[in-house]
Amino acid sequence: MTDTREWRDAVPRRAPVRLVDSARFLSKAECEAIARRVFALARGGGQSQVAISSWWQGELRWARNRVNLASDRRDIRVRIERTVIDGHSGAVTTNQTDDASLEAAVRAAERNAAVRPAGLRPVPFEPPPVPRMLRPTTAIWSEATYALDTESRSDIVRAIIGPAEERKMLSAGYLEVRGASRVTVNSDHSTGYDAPWDLPYTQWTQAQLSLTVRDQHGTSSGWAGLSSYDWSAINAKELAVRALEKALASRDPVALEPGRYTVILEAQAVADLIEIVAGSMSRLDAESGRGPWALQYDEAYHRMRTKLGRKVVDERITIGHDPVDPALGLVFGNLATGAQPVTWIEHGVLTNLSYPRDYALSQLHTDTGVRAMAAYRMSGGDTTIEEMIRTTKRGLLVTRFSNIRTLESGSLLATGLTRDGLWLIENGNISKAVKNFRFTESPLFALNSLEQLGPAERVFRPTVVNDSAQPLTPAIVPPLKVRDFSFTSTIDAI
Amino acid sequence: MTVHSRRRFFGAGAGVLGAVALTMLPLPLLADVGTGPEPVPPIEDPRLKALAFRGVDAARSAGASYADVRLTHTRTRRFDLATRGPSSEEEAMTVGVRALVNGYWGFSSSPVWTPDELARLGREAVHQATVNAVGGSGDIELAPAPAISDGNWTMPVERDPFEISPFEINDFMQSIARGWVPAHLHGVIFSPWAVAFQTQEKAFASSTGSYCTQRTYLTDGSANQINLNLDAQNTGGATGLDCLTPAGMGFEYLTADRIPLVRDHSITEEIQRAVEALKEDLLMPVKSVNVGRYDAVFDAHTMATIVDSTLGRATQLDRAMGYEANAGGTSYFNDPLTMVGSYRAAAPLVTLTANRSERGSAATVQWDDEGVVPEAFTLVKDGVLVDFQTMRESATWLKAYYAKIGMSVRSRGCATAPDGVDAPLQSPPNLVLQPGSRANFDALVAEVSDGIAIKQASIDIDFQAMSGLGTGTIYEVKRGKRTAIIGQSGFLFRAPELWKGVLALGGSGAARRYGKRASKGEPPRSSASSVTAVPATIKQLTLINPQQKA
Repeated sequence: MTDTREWRDAVPRRAPVRLVDSARFLSKAECEAIARRVFALARGGGQSQVAISSWWQGELRWARNRVNLASDRRDIRVRIERTVIDGHSGAVTTNQTDDASLEAAVRAAERNAAVRPAGLRPVPFEPPPVPRMLRPTTAIWSEATYALDTESRSDIVRAIIGPAEERKMLSAGYLEVRGASRVTVNSDHSTGYDAPWDLPYTQWTQAQLSLTVRDQHGTSSGWAGLSSYDWSAINAKELAVRALEKALASRDPVALEPGRYTVILEAQAVADLIEIVAGSMSRLDAESGRGPWALQYDEAYHRMRTKLGRKVVDERITIGHDPVDPALGLVFGNLATGAQPVTWIEHGVLTNLSYPRDYALSQLHTDTGVRAMAAYRMSGGDTTIEEMIRTTKRGLLVTRFSNIRTLESGSLLATGLTRDGLWLIENGNISKAVKNFRFTESPLFALNSLEQLGPAERVFRPTVVNDSAQPLTPAIVPPLKVRDFSFTSTIDAI
Repeated sequence: MTVHSRRRFFGAGAGVLGAVALTMLPLPLLADVGTGPEPVPPIEDPRLKALAFRGVDAARSAGASYADVRLTHTRTRRFDLATRGPSSEEEAMTVGVRALVNGYWGFSSSPVWTPDELARLGREAVHQATVNAVGGSGDIELAPAPAISDGNWTMPVERDPFEISPFEINDFMQSIARGWVPAHLHGVIFSPWAVAFQTQEKAFASSTGSYCTQRTYLTDGSANQINLNLDAQNTGGATGLDCLTPAGMGFEYLTADRIPLVRDHSITEEIQRAVEALKEDLLMPVKSVNVGRYDAVFDAHTMATIVDSTLGRATQLDRAMGYEANAGGTSYFNDPLTMVGSYRAAAPLVTLTANRSERGSAATVQWDDEGVVPEAFTLVKDGVLVDFQTMRESATWLKAYYAKIGMSVRSRGCATAPDGVDAPLQSPPNLVLQPGSRANFDALVAEVSDGIAIKQASIDIDFQAMSGLGTGTIYEVKRGKRTAIIGQSGFLFRAPELWKGVLALGGSGAARRYGKRASKGEPPRSSASSVTAVPATIKQLTLINPQQKA
């Protein structure tokens, strides 16, 4: 909190922004009015579903120690789905909220529902109702983020660029704050926290800051970044200092022999690797014989056995998600996919793989699905990075990875590059900067070759899609020391 | 209140209008062009000019030395084999104002087309630029661009996909997926397949007095897969059609019997050819990787991907100067202002040109998003780096170079705002690897006595567009013939060495065009462009097993 005040006190502030400025994104009342109008416009019976999302962003981008674009942007999406003839549905998305546009969109949705040839789908059976449950609520609205106005943002970036310029380095980076809202309402279900197919009106904030410092000749590069719903959790000064120090410390890198190394992966690098694991946690894939979690075909059950219930990684690893934890963002899925806490890996044992509700009803004879791994919290340990370095005879310290691609889905063997800071550790000390490596390694292998874990911390997660209010996918990840990590070639890129 | 039908302005006759109305209602979104709310007029309506200039004037009054506005009206319609009908349909109107104040850019955008909102956006853009003037004073220069006096352009397409009944598109896709399988080839499934059609109307106004309107199309059917089962033991494989990548075309992109530079046969025949080629590959012996360096023949598809990921990125001047350092990265042309004009980027037989005018290409426009007419230009001439991709501001960074070679300082027309809500940023234009003298891929292979041939590789490139890993179908070549498939193989390369090692290029008859999508900027946005390339022989490429750990 004190750091934020430091930036702000440099320049006199304007009057405080009020709590919810409905002109920047749609308020609850405005969304309810839109939904009511859509329901009133529907013709032909059946059901309607309206999903309304809106977002506002304040953006500041700089490079070569100079701001190159400052923006204030906003947009809306209204998706209207009409389910009419024999259960067929059609959906149309618009970004205008006046009566004429909504009416035209509703007609178009009804027309799209009719385009499907009749008799193609059987009369839909009525699935059992979703068991009644309360949707967990959590507040990830931060006034600090939403009120980070144009003046404050410029103060922050001025204080970031200054130190880099003093050291004759070039700073490039991006600061973004966002406020957004989302709601899904069905005409045939009551609104409220118990309706399984509805998403109650939710508003949230998001902030991110990332920066890259390079020297004038492009022979060194350092990076630091962080995301959070709460701007006050992002210490801009600390990130700026870290990126600058990494850039200064990574000058004149030497080429090392490719091979297997003990690596100390900073939390960001671990998150980069876990992305591959997150994308593989599908029960459908596993039970069809695909991916790393399939085992072998069981003749008696006519189903592929999976590794559920078996130990798959080091027992110090637990990865899960609790929707009431504000550090983990929000769950926007409907209640039928589960708004419950879920643990995918518990003390090294694979405990859950994701599947949709249809799969649950038809294959597993249960009522609800399990959501996919996107945002997560990973267990940590007590060993700090400094302690990890001290206890390493020979190893590499990695800032982050980039350009990662999965090579083989059965083992999750992947390849990618180190970026923005790589150092050799010899006899407990950082000895020299190293040229970037290409790695060929499986994150599952790494999670089975764990030496030490550090305290889990939040990492940088960029806004992926800029034209819709996408759910947050924050990650809380520990730094790890891993042995026998495979680096297969050196690259010259910095 | 008159309902303005957009169909009327597109030259469709009254009879067509009636038939079209049954199957496709226009979506009359609302705009307020100054006379109260009414259904949004077509982009050519002169009242939209007044609306756009409200934003320009508001920015100028607030203190901008330059301002521009983009109004966009975008429609997207996606068809899917699985859902049998338009699986999604979207329509959006947005507007963005960009302002230059004392050498700093500000931008503001929203989804509301009204005079009051345009004025607010103009003021907000100036506010953003003024407050965020961080990093040293000094104005910036913009390369001159002639003012456009009420220009209007529509991308020429033969069949506007938004004029066609969704039933027809639906039926066509179903007939392709079901109706083409010849009797002797069972076990083939052409599924999934999704086709997305997009049309965008854009109005551009700037404080130089320019005003123009454009209508463009983008069709993309690249989400497809062909699965082949050879026998009861489920031996088989999968391939796909690469003639459906993003293109600036309409429905004819799917229905025409041939599309120059894309395919020589109908889609049905292309599927059959792809299956035959896959079958041929499946029947070839498989050898393991013998790690080493080999002369390699790349097909046009692979060369297009290599052009896009190496030279196509490295020649973006903003990237080379460090403006994407915090995102996609930089360029291996790391001293661009010195290297331009003299740096040997490739073998002397390599020439790479750029344009935004090819008919049917994905980045083709009449004016870019800064109101510049993009003229064709050369990036690499006879192996030497001679120019960079630029916008109005970045073109002036090459001022000294252009003066030395006697060229005027002009933007290369690469400014792109995918939507009105996005600020214009430099994006790749259409690229063309100029053809050489060999007939085609097989003729190049015939010249290799002991090497490899590579088809349809995908490339991972690093953050300086320099070192890469490629994987795809790699064949062993012995005495001019492809004799085996090399299993679990890939190749490593360094772009400078690869381009300098080009030994031969295919001729114009072997040229093929592919649409590519590029993601750039913070926050990231994506744009489409086309790359036309020929097959090539590259000297001494490193063959590896990419799954081999250290």
